[in-house]
Amino acid sequence: MTEDVVPVMRIGDTLLVALQGDLDDTTVIRIEDQLTREIARSAATGMLIDVSRLSVVDSFIARVLARIVAMVRLLGAQAAVVGIQPAVAITLVELGVPMGHLDTALNAEQGLALLERLRRGDTGTGRP
Amino acid sequence: MAPLVDGQDPQARVRDLEAMLDALGDHAVIKLGPDGKVVRWSRTAQAMTGYAEAEVVGRPLSLLRTEEDREAGLLERELDAVRQDGRREFQGWRVRKTGERFLSHISLTPVTGEDGTVTGFVEVLRDATESARAESLFHGLLESAPDAMVIVGSDARIVLVNRQAEALFGFGRDELVGREIEVLVPGRFRDRHVGHRNGFLADPQVRPMGAGLELWGLRRDGTEFPVEISLSPLETAEGRLVAAAIRDVTERRETEQRLQRQRDEILELSTPVIQVWDKILVLPIIGTLDTLRATRLTEGLLEKIAQSQAEVAILDISGVPTIDTQVAQHLLKTVQAAALMGTVSIMSGVRPETAQSMVHLGIDMGRLRSRNTLQDALQLALAVLAERAGTAAAATRALSAGEGR
Repeated sequence: MTEDVVPVMRIGDTLLVALQGDLDDTTVIRIEDQLTREIARSAATGMLIDVSRLSVVDSFIARVLARIVAMVRLLGAQAAVVGIQPAVAITLVELGVPMGHLDTALNAEQGLALLERLRRGDTGTGRP
Repeated sequence: MAPLVDGQDPQARVRDLEAMLDALGDHAVIKLGPDGKVVRWSRTAQAMTGYAEAEVVGRPLSLLRTEEDREAGLLERELDAVRQDGRREFQGWRVRKTGERFLSHISLTPVTGEDGTVTGFVEVLRDATESARAESLFHGLLESAPDAMVIVGSDARIVLVNRQAEALFGFGRDELVGREIEVLVPGRFRDRHVGHRNGFLADPQVRPMGAGLELWGLRRDGTEFPVEISLSPLETAEGRLVAAAIRDVTERRETEQRLQRQRDEILELSTPVIQVWDKILVLPIIGTLDTLRATRLTEGLLEKIAQSQAEVAILDISGVPTIDTQVAQHLLKTVQAAALMGTVSIMSGVRPETAQSMVHLGIDMGRLRSRNTLQDALQLALAVLAERAGTAAAATRALSAGEGR
């Protein structure tokens, strides 16, 4: 049994995951392992990934986020990224990292509302 | 008859010597008897003084002297000195036939007979007016230059400074001449400066000093001030000199800093973000969007989003004169960055002609929602919020249906 690498909090049907520290390939694999097992075990219908404590989000992290979101969706749940910091947002846009397919929200509260809309099949995020 | 070698024909020899004398050009050569009376008068002497040989032969050379010199018996004293000690060179005033004075370099050489007694003298005059004028011109230029000038020899020691340099650095002329140029350089730059100036002396060319660097001068009282320096090499008889023109730029630096501050303030002022409603921000964009402004605008908006947690941002472009591809690109980046944080953007203030030109230019704003007036945009924003809150009223539902998602 692998130990947990990230703290996961459960709010109703939703899991709240806070990514932090340096993420390397090994850690990422373990996080993916932990989160997919957690979704399956808890039968949660949504997951919020909080990245507010990541000061550096580069194209590697962006790919990691996309992978986690895809895995969560395969398991029948909705996923959204919350807490992208202003500097991170500017960097990602300047780098041209494609993030359009990710659903994002400002904070956990708005993230919960976003997941609720996603569950209803309503993608009213207003994303361009 | 075999031709005589030139030197052996006395007449040819005299002709040659005369030609050689004539060739001296700006040197007047005068042969005097032992009593100081003119014996021979070169053609160049005639050209210089205006007297023909016939006018002066047999008269004392003091006729070329000033009144004061004649009264002081200067010529006689000079002749006595030369008779005793041999050739002398000096400078003095001479008078032309016209009465005009001219400064002259003079050499006076005794001519001795076979028994060693002085049988006469040769005086050579060279008009020094030109070189004196050039020298005083140089000094005049140096003193009247608007900048402080410091002239340095190839050993980096100061050779000459002007009044402006004395005033600027607070040193007297005599305190500077002979010292190394580094006396005017703040201590922390001295070591580096020695390297730089040696490099310059090795390959001197006219150039500003320390391109791209902030340069500082050191006053006598230890205070420093920002300077701008341009260097030019001077090739002179005394060797290679370097002229440094030094300008105090304290005032200009201050002006530049003030301008920069004002520019920052204007940027700050020109990109306000207004919270008009709970969770709704309005960003009125006024004027042309260049890259710098667009960056500030994006930063300002995202900071405000982070701080207010606003869910909708309205970008009002009614104050932007033209939307070209570049401006559209900047706007799209702002919208994307806001979207990454989870905030929806709405564009407002699109005039009919703007809409036409944007489509004609092929500008694609993606799925960014756009409204004609700020009022419409605000209604749409409220509808989005209401929809998100799950309390969409019939009226707002009609609105959001009209947006064609």
